[in-house]
Amino acid sequence: MPSQEPRRWRPVGRFRRLGLQTTPGRIRALAVVAVLAIGGFYIVANVAVGNARDGLRVIGHDAGPQVLATGDLYFALGDMDSQVASILLTGREHGLGARQQALRRYAQDRATANRAALQAAELSAGDPTDQAAVRSILDGLGQYERLASQAMVLDEQANHPAGPPPPNVIAVYRQATDLMTLELLPPAYNLTLEGGATVREAYAAKHSAVLSGRLWVALAGLAVIAALVAMQFFVAARFRRRLNPALAVATLGLLLLTILAVRLLSDEAAHLQAAKTSGFDSILTMARARAISNSLHADQSRFLLDPGRADTYSLAYLDKSQTVLYVASGNLGEYHTALGTAMKAYGANPRDVGFLGFYGDEARAHPGPAVTAVLSRFQQFQTDDQRIRQLAGAGQDRQAVMLLTGRTAGSSGYDFDQYDQAVVSLIGQHRGTFDQTIRAGDRELGRSVLGNWAGLLPLAALVAAVLVVAGVWARLAEYR
Amino acid sequence: MKRGRAKAGGRAGAAAVAALALGLSMAACSATGPASIMGQQTLRIGVKADQPGLGLRLPDGGFAGFDVDVARYVAAKLGVHPDHITFVPVTSATRETALENGSVDMVFATYSITPQRETKVTFGGPYYVAHQDTMVRAGDTAIHSVHDLKGKRLCAVTGSNSWKRVTQQLNIAAILAPAASYSSCVAMLTDGRTDAVSTDDLILAGFAARAGPAVRIVNAPFSYERYGIGIRKGDLSGCEAVNKAVSQMYLDGTAAALLQKWFGKTRLQLDTHVPQFEGCG
Repeated sequence: MPSQEPRRWRPVGRFRRLGLQTTPGRIRALAVVAVLAIGGFYIVANVAVGNARDGLRVIGHDAGPQVLATGDLYFALGDMDSQVASILLTGREHGLGARQQALRRYAQDRATANRAALQAAELSAGDPTDQAAVRSILDGLGQYERLASQAMVLDEQANHPAGPPPPNVIAVYRQATDLMTLELLPPAYNLTLEGGATVREAYAAKHSAVLSGRLWVALAGLAVIAALVAMQFFVAARFRRRLNPALAVATLGLLLLTILAVRLLSDEAAHLQAAKTSGFDSILTMARARAISNSLHADQSRFLLDPGRADTYSLAYLDKSQTVLYVASGNLGEYHTALGTAMKAYGANPRDVGFLGFYGDEARAHPGPAVTAVLSRFQQFQTDDQRIRQLAGAGQDRQAVMLLTGRTAGSSGYDFDQYDQAVVSLIGQHRGTFDQTIRAGDRELGRSVLGNWAGLLPLAALVAAVLVVAGVWARLAEYR
Repeated sequence: MKRGRAKAGGRAGAAAVAALALGLSMAACSATGPASIMGQQTLRIGVKADQPGLGLRLPDGGFAGFDVDVARYVAAKLGVHPDHITFVPVTSATRETALENGSVDMVFATYSITPQRETKVTFGGPYYVAHQDTMVRAGDTAIHSVHDLKGKRLCAVTGSNSWKRVTQQLNIAAILAPAASYSSCVAMLTDGRTDAVSTDDLILAGFAARAGPAVRIVNAPFSYERYGIGIRKGDLSGCEAVNKAVSQMYLDGTAAALLQKWFGKTRLQLDTHVPQFEGCG
């Protein structure tokens, strides 16, 4: 059959058409391969560096700050309600001094809430759902303030001794506190959680993308170098020259660039990991612990303020205490005892973390004096709680209110502030680590031997391609 | 694995290729970790079979109620076709085991989030916050609040947290009358084997509607019962996706419509704001 012959010869025909049977043809082909490999290297490196940049942006500049801002927002809102409860509990006994302080703090909280809400709104720009959530919090806040002032005015008129106010005051306060706990606080907390989810997703995707990117960069770099070395040998053999300087410079440059890029990506992966596991995770855990602690502190005040809901608030207090620090216990009395036992064991040996919950996680992940301080102050606050409930149970409302609302050493209010400060300082410590790693990651991305990585990569690829063309140009010219 | 990749990346091609192969095989391995509800074509969802208004098995074998509708909504948001959901009846006693042994993927069964349960289960949601209240016989005028249960017989459902709230957490010395489910409790209440059934107002509302004038809800709620979506411990991406779905359910008005559909005729105060989520970590 005549068709047999052309079929057998077709590959050779193609070979001939590409000109690969001649030396200049082969040089041209090798040059094309090398330039394509350089292009491939550029793409791979650009994607990997882009992943590192995206990871740092989401974790370090979007979701991380969002968690902090919404955490502050939650705290300020919750604390407003706690302060209102303190004011209503103090009644006409202004002499206790708590009322003025509570009013001052209420105003401060209001300002903090506004500031944090604005910051959260800025950070959620581009996410209409989140922005709507922040807006609804601010709208509700106006309504809350009206109800709170109304309750405070009625309370002034009632002129009651320290302890639960009259039913008309409680009725208005219930409206206020329900608005706060059902409509204002949940979206703030959910925004914090959402920040956490965003970081977890971004980290899972970007950290592994940077690591696999590093592998691809190494492979692509090696491929380019292999192509350049092959050209070097081919040209040296054909033209009996020792070295083609342009190709040699391109080879060395690419080798250096590959090493730098691999090192950069290793560092970026390490920064992402440190920012997530040593910084962010604990910031989130502690921000949540602070929010829930704030909320259980408010439940303690509400328990004294609203006898009709005393059971509800003491059960909520127990649930929240166990969320923060879990020790197996059937009721609040058992919880206080079990907490004492667990803390004693922990005090004797900080490796003996016999409790779960937020503080169990934190004590296991980052043992140290900062966690110990938080734990001992939490325990002190719980010891005060036990006394408050004993006093209230014995009908000594006035003493219970004094202990709760006092801001001087020995009072529960003071101990709560001490506890909260310890939590804030632990968050600050993790924030330091977080900011430091994010800054280091940003710095290395922005700075390379020759300038910014975003600018360096295309420039280096272009120069390498030009060198390859220049290196073979003179040799090809010998054939013209 | 990370260290292996790091070394290979900087070395010769062969090592890099080996590391790539290793990386791929490791990626394949990680799929055998704890199963997630994400990316599933079908889902088995645990619901109650005997709680009117929440989860009730119908004569045709299907299930209906608020929990069932919420489960359908969430499953749809996870990308599961309604025909690919299998509802599996669970009781208060079997919820944790069913999740742990994998016979269900998710639980929507008036499943209050409690710190104890969180040691075994990851909770999405809550998708609703109910309040514990008490149901007594209509003729019983002595019980006005949970504290009046002292010395009375209180129905105690195995695996439920409700009776623990009364006798353990509030330390009220009621006499426990064990039962397997709230439907048995209601039967025991009407025929006199127990004096009170204390559990979530949503559950009581459904039974009260069915039992008619024989029973009375005392209307003295005393707790927050946060109805969680039970998923296998550690399924963080599943938990986050479920929370996103619940948020959407409140935003698009479905939650309000479902609450109205199932509890609109009761005296309950229905809250149509998205609840504060428990968080997945």
